[in-house]
Amino acid sequence: MISRPTTEQVLLDCCRVLEDDVLPGVADETMQVRLVMLGKVLRNAAVRAAHEVAWMREETARIEEYAGGVAASTGSEPLRAALDDLAAGPHDSLHLADVVEVYGRASEALSVALEAALAAERDDLVREGESLLSARLQHENDVVGGWNSAGR
Amino acid sequence: MPEPTMTPEALERFLGAAEPGRAASVTDFRPITGGYSRLSAVADVRWDDGGTERLVLRGDPQPGDGVFVSDRDAEWRILQALSHARSVPVARPRWYDATGEHFGTKCIVFDHFAGRSLQDVLREAGDDPAPGRMFVDIVAQIHSAPLEALGTAVEHPASWDDYLDGVLEIYRAVDREVADSSPVLRYAGALLARHRPPPVPFALVHGDCQPSNVLVADSREHVVIDWEFAHVGDPREDLGYYTQIPMPPNVYHRDPQSFLARYRERTGLTEEQVNPDTVEYFLVIGMAHLLAQILRALDAVARGETRGVMATYLINAVTHQYGMYLAICRRVAA
Repeated sequence: MISRPTTEQVLLDCCRVLEDDVLPGVADETMQVRLVMLGKVLRNAAVRAAHEVAWMREETARIEEYAGGVAASTGSEPLRAALDDLAAGPHDSLHLADVVEVYGRASEALSVALEAALAAERDDLVREGESLLSARLQHENDVVGGWNSAGR
Repeated sequence: MPEPTMTPEALERFLGAAEPGRAASVTDFRPITGGYSRLSAVADVRWDDGGTERLVLRGDPQPGDGVFVSDRDAEWRILQALSHARSVPVARPRWYDATGEHFGTKCIVFDHFAGRSLQDVLREAGDDPAPGRMFVDIVAQIHSAPLEALGTAVEHPASWDDYLDGVLEIYRAVDREVADSSPVLRYAGALLARHRPPPVPFALVHGDCQPSNVLVADSREHVVIDWEFAHVGDPREDLGYYTQIPMPPNVYHRDPQSFLARYRERTGLTEEQVNPDTVEYFLVIGMAHLLAQILRALDAVARGETRGVMATYLINAVTHQYGMYLAICRRVAA
């Protein structure tokens, strides 16, 4: 396959064309706003293309470890079920759809683990879970790079 | 319903039906940009008796297009109730195509109000505190509107705790409904249910409370627009919602204590009820309906449907919200 330019580079080049060549020639205000939004979406997609598989796999590994610890500490049955579901996911594949599937199951396990930690009033486990949420948000922030509500 | 046809021709036909015995011609018609939910346009009309007027049309986009869904019938009812009660100034609702027969979409027609957005006024005001105070007073005015005057135009919740549980359930429901779990939402829902602020009496809540939804005339008269998400609920929802509005300047963030002191003075609510902590809490509550709609739209895109570029663009807003929610949870739990 043709790997260079990378998907990130292709998308960023599309952004440049959109913003430098297409947008100045568009007079309709509604279309201008849509193009600005589209440029932002493409920039987001470029960052995701560059990093999302690695980020999701890193987060999944940390979540599995955390959720396993919460399950052992709290005995939460819903959490054990979520962990079983996560274990049954297609971990070996690097195809995006499979990585997303596993990450989705890990997200559910993290949700259930945080609920179990709160219900057990285990502040230490809650804090640990919050740090995973922070890491997840850091990746999301790296993707979006800020929010300013275009057109308003 | 067919594709929306909010056109000059459709408006002429509609006015002919709404005002039998008079005929109108549309002399100017232009869409209004900047809204994130409804289709809007402003039209100049000349009647066959020589009278002229400027009208605003507000209709639904095509079903399945866009992100935000609201009930035009409900908005029409509340606009009529507010217009009649005169407790909050609104642009006068004139006619309603309730079936979409004329515009291909449900469409409310208002009198045009000649004014500028209060957000624009604030932007140009610099250090002048008057427009900011005006906004606080308008928010307090909305929240002080007598609920009995709304009659059956809006649903009145039974109890404050049930109401709060119902809003938190919106987050749990959307998390069950969409493909991927959102741990931030699940955590916030579980945590906030355990740390409730003191209740306040129910009030009219605008639901999209921001200076962009206030129009101010040169005479300083004003109207409040965009009532599509209005409901009876906890007034702090509007305060919390406003704190997350990203357009500068934000009156609240400029001086939260002064903002809230003035608001308390106008509403009679106490500092225990209205303070920066409770406002933060109600940011999460006040955003529930809109965030749930964004997440549903993104889920639809993930299933292969299209919602226009707005849906994928709003991933940015979701990230922004999640960051705020997590920070709020940390402070609530501390």
